[in-house]
Amino acid sequence: MSKDQSEKEKRSQTVGNKHNPTFAMVLSILFAGLGQLYNRRYGKGALLIIVETAYLIVFADYMNIGFWGLFTLGEIPMVDHSIFLLIQGLISVILLAFGLTVYIVNIRDAYKEAKEIRGGKKRPTWSEALRHAWDTGFPYIFITPGVVMLMFVTFLPIMFMIALAFTNYNQYNSPPRKLLDWVGFENFINLVRIDIWSDTLFSVLAWTLIWTLVATTLQIALGLFLALLVNDPRIKGKKMIRTILILPWAVPAFVTILIFAAMFNDQFGAINKDILSVFGLSIPWLTDPFYTKIALIMIQTWLGFPFVFALFTGVLQSISKDWYEAAEVDGGNRWQKFRYITLPHILYATAPLLIMQYTGNFNNFNIIYLFNQGGPAVRGQNAGGTDILISWVYKLTFETNNFNMAAAISIIIGFIVIGFAFFQFRRTRSFKEEGNI
Amino acid sequence: MKKALSVFLVFLLLVGVLAGCGPDRDTESNAADDQNTNNSGEEVEKPDKLVVWVNDEEKQKEALEQIFNKYTEETGIEIEMVAVNMLDQIQNLSLDGPAGKGPDVFFQPHDRIGDIVLQGLADPIDLGDVEGDYSKTAISAVTYDGEIYGAPLVVETYGMFYNKDRVSEAPKTFEELQKIADEQTNASNEEYGFLMEAANLYFVWPFFASNGAYIFKRGDDGSYDTNDIGLANEGAKKAGEIVKNWFDQGQIPVGITPDIMNGLFKDGKVSVVINGPWMAREYEEALGESLGISILPEIDGNVGKSFVGVKSWMLSAYSKNKEWAVDFMKFITNKENSLTYFEVAGEMPANEAALTDPLVTDDPIVGPFAEQIQYGEPMPSVPEMQQVWEPANKALELLSNGEDTGVLDEAVEQIKANIIASGGGQ
Repeated sequence: MSKDQSEKEKRSQTVGNKHNPTFAMVLSILFAGLGQLYNRRYGKGALLIIVETAYLIVFADYMNIGFWGLFTLGEIPMVDHSIFLLIQGLISVILLAFGLTVYIVNIRDAYKEAKEIRGGKKRPTWSEALRHAWDTGFPYIFITPGVVMLMFVTFLPIMFMIALAFTNYNQYNSPPRKLLDWVGFENFINLVRIDIWSDTLFSVLAWTLIWTLVATTLQIALGLFLALLVNDPRIKGKKMIRTILILPWAVPAFVTILIFAAMFNDQFGAINKDILSVFGLSIPWLTDPFYTKIALIMIQTWLGFPFVFALFTGVLQSISKDWYEAAEVDGGNRWQKFRYITLPHILYATAPLLIMQYTGNFNNFNIIYLFNQGGPAVRGQNAGGTDILISWVYKLTFETNNFNMAAAISIIIGFIVIGFAFFQFRRTRSFKEEGNI
Repeated sequence: MKKALSVFLVFLLLVGVLAGCGPDRDTESNAADDQNTNNSGEEVEKPDKLVVWVNDEEKQKEALEQIFNKYTEETGIEIEMVAVNMLDQIQNLSLDGPAGKGPDVFFQPHDRIGDIVLQGLADPIDLGDVEGDYSKTAISAVTYDGEIYGAPLVVETYGMFYNKDRVSEAPKTFEELQKIADEQTNASNEEYGFLMEAANLYFVWPFFASNGAYIFKRGDDGSYDTNDIGLANEGAKKAGEIVKNWFDQGQIPVGITPDIMNGLFKDGKVSVVINGPWMAREYEEALGESLGISILPEIDGNVGKSFVGVKSWMLSAYSKNKEWAVDFMKFITNKENSLTYFEVAGEMPANEAALTDPLVTDDPIVGPFAEQIQYGEPMPSVPEMQQVWEPANKALELLSNGEDTGVLDEAVEQIKANIIASGGGQ
């Protein structure tokens, strides 16, 4: 080692000892990048300074109006448009969140790096720094466009909807002529306190839950039953049968639903006219809520079972024969083989998808609306006899312009679906932890 | 410690940002002043162009293009035609208007006027001396709160179609119509004397209105009293019984849909149906010479009051060339241009001179509907109307299922509750 080099080493050592992490942190808090400059990471520091300057120049004015709008929702009717301001405000929140994330990362980076320098770490060369940044930053760089897209395409509308639930946005209070106001939880309180809302809410909610549980369970049960049958070694022509059973899935759902709606027509539909008339029956499929519900559940079973069937068939084929042979050796009967080998296998592999079936049906707008527009009518109720929450929300929004109430109900729907999914996924995990597979 | 410090600093930053919030208002108020002086100015400068939103339909666009070109020839103002679906126009206008990208003139059915005015999207217009040129029903339809909001282009209503093979001539009175229903209905054979969408307030309205029912009481100045709902009064109950009777007797099948009705009529199994002119071509193709069209029958001595819909040109509140936009609206709805529109797009003109022109009245298909217009009444244009359809149609559906006319009282209660719940009724 030459004298020159050891000299340099020594100097950096002494510099390192005096290097103050808190000072670096404070510098970075004052302006992103300053701490990095102090740490002598000039490239990084300059980049951060440029980023923050650009951020402030480009967004400061936009966010200024945005936050003002978010709080006031505008002050002068016809000039300020509450909806625009609300959206601008929400975008500002997202921008601020992005900004803060970078800012906090910058502060932590300055502090950490300063600490390392004090600990005697040498300044990396340009190429080292670049390679390090590439190695650690690689996933982040590629995930960023997706996250940004997601923020604006998915997250922003959700925030907008949540925000609307706390405003007084309805037909009579619409921008640009009127300004919106924040009303806190008033919409939610009205939902349970005012009769026309609460009566309807609870009956619709009850049917929604029954619909979800019964229709989905039936479609899963039918799919499972058929999958087991078709998978039986004694069945011949498996491919043919499988193809036929998957057909209902191949026809677009809305076509099937509309055809069923015609077939179930009380007077002219094929079911009453051609099939049930043989037995002297005529069932009011579209005019009695009870029978409409039955018809809907049957149609959904028809529409939904092929997917479950295909799913289960795939899993069944992958179960090793050894399991069953072992069970036979131990004297297990048919039921025991099903209960302890088949069922755990297929449930383990498919549970998340089955849960999706439940949440999917909870919000299955298509079938409810296309079959009978949520009808038939029920005396003394705001929604139709078979309206589920989501189709009721649709009516509130597009037929009666109660945007605030629709948003409030949407939030409730959101919480129910989240709760449902969370509970079920938790159950699934505990299932896995038992480790009986 | 560090965490607390950074949280505190972030908080400080937020407060700083929020404290500086808010737009600079000086320029805005100046702009408003400018506009005021502009409005009071006498000479209005001719704009280079006007932006017009038209309904996104090929035939209509074709007709309007001819008319717009004529206006450009005459005045030198270029017309930019933008096709926006009529149902989307209000929402788009509420977003594009404030942003300065909206049209000067847009096209809407009159029953949305109340809603449009509530949102502050349209300004009233002064039709001046040409006001009398439009059909009275049309002008009454576009009048809201005593002001005219639209230059009517198109009127539409429904009438009666009959099958000449089954009835020699159209029933002139309700009694005759009921007789046809009584005598020619054979439900087991799928033959019906008279069919209509009787669980739809829009079509069944003549039977209600002619018996004395009203939706909202209309004052002499054309304004509606939305607290006075006449859908459960004596006349409405009477009409309700009529509707109920049709279903109870099986003269009109429960759960009837337009598809079923049209299918049966085209198969020649129905004597009389009530429907709009939009079905005329299809019926004619199926029935040929046997198809007859007429006005609605008389109920208690008066021709049934059908609902009339009016589509009109409206002036955007955000237009910067209001005077010329109104001039343009008058031009495209004058007699000559209304007739051009009728010929190309096939929609009935709202201009009285055009509506009574032989070209329209002698048309075997459109003629009877044009005649029906004078007996009709416009649908209420108040925003509260949106809360009426659902409960009213529900009540009719319940009547069709055999419930008593008490459902009409419930419907009125529900309409009132809905109006309050949606923020109106103050």
